[in-house]
Amino acid sequence: MQVSLVLGVPLLFLLAACLVVVGPDRALSQRAKLAAYPIGAAFCLAIATLYLVATQGPITFRLYDPASVGSFAFPIGFYVDRLSAVMMVLISGVGSVIYTYSIRYMYQDAHAPRYLALIGGTTFVLLCMVSSANLMMLFLFWQILSYLLYILAHNHSHAGTLDGAFRTFTLLRLSDVAFLAGIVLAHFLYGTLEFQELFVRAAESTATLSLLPGVEISGATAVTLLLFIGGMGKSAQFPLFIWLPRSLYAPTPVHALLHAGIINAGGFLINRLAPLFGQSPATLHVALVVGTLTAVLGATMMLTQNDIKKTLGFSTIGQMGYMIMECGLGAFSLAVFHLIAHGLFKATVFLNCGNVIHKARQDPEFPHADQREEEEHFSPLTWSTGFFTTLAIPLIILLVTHGVLRIPLLESQGAVIILFFIWVTSSQAILTLTRLRAVASWKVSAAMLLTFLFVVLVYLFAVESFTAFLYPNPAEVALYFQAADLPNWLFDLLLFGATLSTILGWLYLYLRAHGRSVWMPPWVDGVRIRLYVLFMNRLYVEQAYQHAGKFLLRLLHRIDKHAQGWSQR
Amino acid sequence: MMNEIVTTLLASIPFIGALLCLTVWSRSDYVKQTAIVMTMISLGATIALSPFLTVSSEGFLLLYLLPLAACVSILGQPTHETHRFAWVLTLVFLGLGVTILASHGVVGHLALLVLFGLVIGLLSRHHSALWPMSWWGIGVYGLGAVATVTSAMTEPPISTIASVLACAVLLPLVPLHSGYFTALTRLPGNLPSFIVVLFPAVGLHGLVMLTPMLPNNVAVTIMGLAVFGALYGAVRALAQSRMRLLLAYSSLSLFSMLWWFAAAAGITTAWASVFVGAVSFGTSGLLLAWQAIRTRYGDDVDPQAVSGLASTMPRFAVLLSLMALAVMGLPPFGVFSGFMGLLLTSPIASPSALFVILLAWLATSWYILDAVQRLLFGQQRPDLSFTDLQQSEFAALLMVVLIVIALGVIPAGLLGPNIVALSPSDIMGPFAWNK
Repeated sequence: MQVSLVLGVPLLFLLAACLVVVGPDRALSQRAKLAAYPIGAAFCLAIATLYLVATQGPITFRLYDPASVGSFAFPIGFYVDRLSAVMMVLISGVGSVIYTYSIRYMYQDAHAPRYLALIGGTTFVLLCMVSSANLMMLFLFWQILSYLLYILAHNHSHAGTLDGAFRTFTLLRLSDVAFLAGIVLAHFLYGTLEFQELFVRAAESTATLSLLPGVEISGATAVTLLLFIGGMGKSAQFPLFIWLPRSLYAPTPVHALLHAGIINAGGFLINRLAPLFGQSPATLHVALVVGTLTAVLGATMMLTQNDIKKTLGFSTIGQMGYMIMECGLGAFSLAVFHLIAHGLFKATVFLNCGNVIHKARQDPEFPHADQREEEEHFSPLTWSTGFFTTLAIPLIILLVTHGVLRIPLLESQGAVIILFFIWVTSSQAILTLTRLRAVASWKVSAAMLLTFLFVVLVYLFAVESFTAFLYPNPAEVALYFQAADLPNWLFDLLLFGATLSTILGWLYLYLRAHGRSVWMPPWVDGVRIRLYVLFMNRLYVEQAYQHAGKFLLRLLHRIDKHAQGWSQR
Repeated sequence: MMNEIVTTLLASIPFIGALLCLTVWSRSDYVKQTAIVMTMISLGATIALSPFLTVSSEGFLLLYLLPLAACVSILGQPTHETHRFAWVLTLVFLGLGVTILASHGVVGHLALLVLFGLVIGLLSRHHSALWPMSWWGIGVYGLGAVATVTSAMTEPPISTIASVLACAVLLPLVPLHSGYFTALTRLPGNLPSFIVVLFPAVGLHGLVMLTPMLPNNVAVTIMGLAVFGALYGAVRALAQSRMRLLLAYSSLSLFSMLWWFAAAAGITTAWASVFVGAVSFGTSGLLLAWQAIRTRYGDDVDPQAVSGLASTMPRFAVLLSLMALAVMGLPPFGVFSGFMGLLLTSPIASPSALFVILLAWLATSWYILDAVQRLLFGQQRPDLSFTDLQQSEFAALLMVVLIVIALGVIPAGLLGPNIVALSPSDIMGPFAWNK
């Protein structure tokens, strides 16, 4: 019963893909509609699996003997715990919505059968990946996903698309090879690739690796760093992010699947291997740096793009940066919470963006311009109320809430940073609303306060409940936070710097939004323009890759030419 | 005694097939059908009689693969009188290959000597303006023949080194890869697509017996050459525009990886058979696919001049993509399984060498995908006529795809007797692990 339930979820998606592909062209529409039923059934089975796992514990079954070394290459087995079950519900849910949407969206498109089948096939691969029983099976489907990304972003006769698809695949293979090296190292160190066994042996192992005389890193750090590079590729982290904006020629539903499902693979990988990553503070710090860099650069590049799909693409890169940064802070469950929320949000946005573009083409007044005269009205009472509401009250509420929810605020840097971000984002929302509606400050402030209370309390409650669901052992959660701790001086400096720049930024924005002039040195404008151009061109990273590729090819041809002189064939 | 009788029986089937083909020589279609039927009979007989053979440590996998390779290479060739000679020779080569893999001692050496002699004869006869005579290639096969005689007539360590040289000629290893390249580019008809399976299989058979006896300095030399070969093959493949040379360099790079693993571990496991079988079959399939293009657009067609085949030759496009995926080392194909098996059951002799091996592995995805993408996608040429695969071509390529998938998912217990794992303490070299 349990086995058929777990197997049924991915296999029904595969069945749907086969239904679309196999059969005459004239019956494609009927077959495409018929395939929606097994997909819907798969979603129901995923929910049933989640219930079963939540009530009865993890489901495990293997089609191989884990003790046999002969079963390395193709070890098909499933391990569905709460993390896998949650991911299965998310993937099958999003997959069902996207497939149903695509039936009409791709109607009469010449490539419809291919895309519909690929959506089913990709969801099948994703489901198998998240329910893998061992690192090898995860890697197996991880690689297939790399190729599927290549053909999903594919339009046979469009040169730009082909170029982008090729780069996507080669870049993803680069990170796949790092992943492979991580697997090899893990196997040599711990002698197994089975998740539970691997975690136990890694916890017992004290192996260190001497790369240079006097420079030693732990075995867990070496393994997790390599695996993290593997995750960086799929989750479009800096500097491996360029494949994502290059794949924007694909049909919109494909983007919805890509941005809501596939790109979360990095976050899932870290969560799946949380006990291993929890043993390596160095890797978590690297993840924090990479994630923060990606979040900042992705969000900044998003602001300067003039194409809706590229804007959404860079928004995803920024969000993936946040997700990896959360992992780097030791907040693994929060990263899963984030990827679910982002997945649902981004799938909705992508499925709607076609309609928005369509409407914008038909209606020259759309989107509507803001009412600037209302914004420019300035009242000192509004300003001070808004300022206090924005900055001080959220902090007070959060501190009180921590007391109620018993989060070890002062003992965990990760918790402080997460709360800091909650404060930043929620206050940002309040600021935006205050800026838009500057009149009736007391009513607005009261509404803000109530909304804020509601949102933050629900959010904190949801996060805490989700953490308890995903990681029922609080000691484990505390351990991950502890592993991610930064040196105190660095932590204080970062927090102080971030708070100061945020408050100054808000002050500047608030005053400018309400018609007040803010003095700035003249050179700032010049720098701002230069930065704008730089970020609009995506830091010229793509061009740098292009030049490096051309240089490498020239070098290879030169070597080939020289080699022809002495090599006979 | 039983082993000799069974070997004779198995080897005689293809030879009888070659004779039967001569009796229907005037009808090309009959020659082709006879050759295909005899390869199938050979396969059936091998499966039925293999329990009576002495099992070697690489298992019977390669022995089963040889008749299949002969069958698909003949099947993938269009029926034409100019190809009859190659079909008959395929059967002769198959008989020699079965003899070498199934027998031990002098008979095997003699069969190998005949094999070298036949290839030398063919290479001295078959060359063209596009692929001129290669004395280097012929010379390397001559060296292989001399090494075979030497290994049969001398005692270790000379015989061991001579055997290594013969193996390096068959299972290409720099600097003795020229023979393999010449055979792949100059042999007539379907022979390159069969030779690419036969020679590495025979080379691996020799290597399996040699690896436990390799002196340490020879093993270190082989490892050095193998790492260089893996990188050299990948670098040269990246710069190739001619398909057959690209495939030759690609397989040189992949086979060099096997040499590295074998020399590092000092033992050749059944994963090596899976790897060699899958790489050989994948390359053979791509050669057959390229043959289909050559049949339509001429022998000297520039791969960059043909594009957009995905929409005009969909069956060809799907099968070519699958074979390319196999050679690129993606799951669930045999190249991936074999490589993973080798990686996880061999020691890390040198981390920097492993890095180079992984780099060469990564490069495969680049040049194979680039070549396939150029053929299949992009704008289709209006001045070219497009005909999708004929039934026999389709069947041959489909068989190749199914075989490489089967090699990827084959249950480990069927592979061979000596699948072993190394303990973490086997890790050597500059990695210093403190436990």
